[in-house]
Amino acid sequence: MGNDGKGGTDLSRRRFLTTGGAAALAGAAAAAIPGAARAAEAGAVPKRWDETVDVVVVGTGFAGLTAAIEARNAGAKVLVLDKMPVHGGNSIINGGDFAAPANAFQKDAGVQDSPELMLKDMLKAGAYLNHVELARMVAENANAALEWSRTYVGANFNRLNFHGGHSVKRSVQTANQSGSELVNKLLAKARSLGVEVRLRTKLERLVVKDGRVLGLQVRKGYAWPREDSGEPAFLKARRGVVLATGGFSQDVKLRQVHDPRLTDKFESTNHPGATGEALLAACQAGAMDVQMDWIQLGPWTSPDEKGFGQVPQVCERIVGYGLMVDPKTGKRFFKETGNRKERADAIVLLGHPAVILGDSVNVGKQVVPKVLNKAMEAGAVRRFDTLEAIAQAYGIPVQPFLEQVTRWNGFVEKKSDPDLGCMIFPDAKPNVAPPFYAMRLWPRVHHTMGGLVIDTEARVIGFDMKPIVGLFAAGEVTGGVHGAVRLGSVAMADCVVFGRIAGRNAGGGKAWA
Amino acid sequence: MASKLLKTSGPALLAALLVTLAPRVAGATVRLDPKARPGDCAACHGAAKVLPPGHVATRAMKAADCARCHDPAGPKALGAKLPSGHRHGLAGVGCADCHGKAAKPQPASVEACLACHGPAAELVKKTAAVKPENPHDSPHWGPQMECSVCHRQHEATVNWCAHCHTFDFKVP
Repeated sequence: MGNDGKGGTDLSRRRFLTTGGAAALAGAAAAAIPGAARAAEAGAVPKRWDETVDVVVVGTGFAGLTAAIEARNAGAKVLVLDKMPVHGGNSIINGGDFAAPANAFQKDAGVQDSPELMLKDMLKAGAYLNHVELARMVAENANAALEWSRTYVGANFNRLNFHGGHSVKRSVQTANQSGSELVNKLLAKARSLGVEVRLRTKLERLVVKDGRVLGLQVRKGYAWPREDSGEPAFLKARRGVVLATGGFSQDVKLRQVHDPRLTDKFESTNHPGATGEALLAACQAGAMDVQMDWIQLGPWTSPDEKGFGQVPQVCERIVGYGLMVDPKTGKRFFKETGNRKERADAIVLLGHPAVILGDSVNVGKQVVPKVLNKAMEAGAVRRFDTLEAIAQAYGIPVQPFLEQVTRWNGFVEKKSDPDLGCMIFPDAKPNVAPPFYAMRLWPRVHHTMGGLVIDTEARVIGFDMKPIVGLFAAGEVTGGVHGAVRLGSVAMADCVVFGRIAGRNAGGGKAWA
Repeated sequence: MASKLLKTSGPALLAALLVTLAPRVAGATVRLDPKARPGDCAACHGAAKVLPPGHVATRAMKAADCARCHDPAGPKALGAKLPSGHRHGLAGVGCADCHGKAAKPQPASVEACLACHGPAAELVKKTAAVKPENPHDSPHWGPQMECSVCHRQHEATVNWCAHCHTFDFKVP
């Protein structure tokens, strides 16, 4: 992967191996490899296509399934592929929060918001590196995308949440606190419209001729993670291909190309298939990538459980209510409501996990009981009768810690934090009522902001600065929307907004054959 | 050119598939013989010692014979000792029952599994008490996961949840 010249050679060799590797063929194979490799690099068009559809969508997360539905509704015959044996990618293990300005839940709660304010928040967090026109598309269309998800797709959202870096509470959460609510409803809707979804099928190469994507070469029956599994096949896409293959947080080799600090010592919240080969296949077909070294760590994961886990949904609900301390000093060290990058950097700088805590009133009000119970069963969130017991459990110096809690409670009373500028919510209460809940925090690789360059029509831009005809992309595989930092809950908005655009444009495109 | 080669190598492809399907026994070559009696270890494993020393002869055995010593509910249960594909064989389920009768064997479909083990709703009920989550009704996929994601027949089973969770499921 990422090894341009050799990629084609490896593919050819693998193909020979799986076909039985007959000794008699070995000589011919060896002679054939260089030619085959050159042909692959040049984007050879197969003499015969194994299958023909109008639109091929690669990826079964929010963006892919959304694109499939819209392409189908634009009149296209649609085939959706996923290399994994399960559908949903990262979307199906995500927390189900969807940022949408001026949404119905905000109106009910009396929260003032606007697309302009969301754009401002995205640009500020993104260090103004965002491709502004893309960020604006997300901010301006997020609420329509949320309403489409609720009313047309039928996904159930029932709660308004805050996420670090946003000016207001604007994230609406699924009723089961998981992206699976939306993914599974999207899948059911897509199937009901006649979209075929095929798992265990891996994109290997885009077939491109004269600046137009004609289709793709895949491995059918691919058994992740065995790279030699499955059989090659060519799929013709008469109108277009939509790449919705997600990011590369689990691709240690690729992420280290762009950020050498992110060695295999850093775990990831992502599903194990979140690797970058589809993104690289697009690059090999002439697509341009951007901002690949902006790789985000989530500051709310726990070293006491695996993966994304339960703690993010406890930690993120109590920022602006409880306090986060450095266990070495007992003191706060960074504003709890800061954006992901700021907070993750601050914890990594400590060199050891931070501790965040809240009392029974704040936690009881803010955290979904089922989530809290699961986090406690996992041993990642612990319950304590006294603050002293917390200090003892995490090796925090008692006196400075107690003083810090008292100081924080004073800020909560005044709704203002002169020390670190943390946002304190109007309904926050001083943390005085036992039991107390505490957890350790250590960041994990969560989101890759960089990816394929697209325009506002979700067309992938090539190194000649022109759209590659017939190639569209949406979601985490793209770059530029979020700039340096993606704010929490804007991924769902990004995926559904651009998934819809990509699907409509691919489905309504002109057929090449 | 490569795809042409593929088409001309049908038998070789089948052989390759069978090798991939074959269980991996440490230090031994396996030559899969689809016609072998399920209890005839040597037919595929040759001289490799795949049974513990002193094990009774299994050549003529069926699942019920194994169960006389290996009580499925007891500590000697075969679940962790023998790949599921072997247990299917011993129970009289042949290759074609799962993979179809086509010249080219197909991966077993969910429907093939559920024909004997289903319906899915029953499987969800069967594991309802498994802690900390019902593996057949996860918060992510509900009852929609394909059986073979975890229940591999010809290689070690997989605890898919363990990619992200510390669920200590014993997957049969």
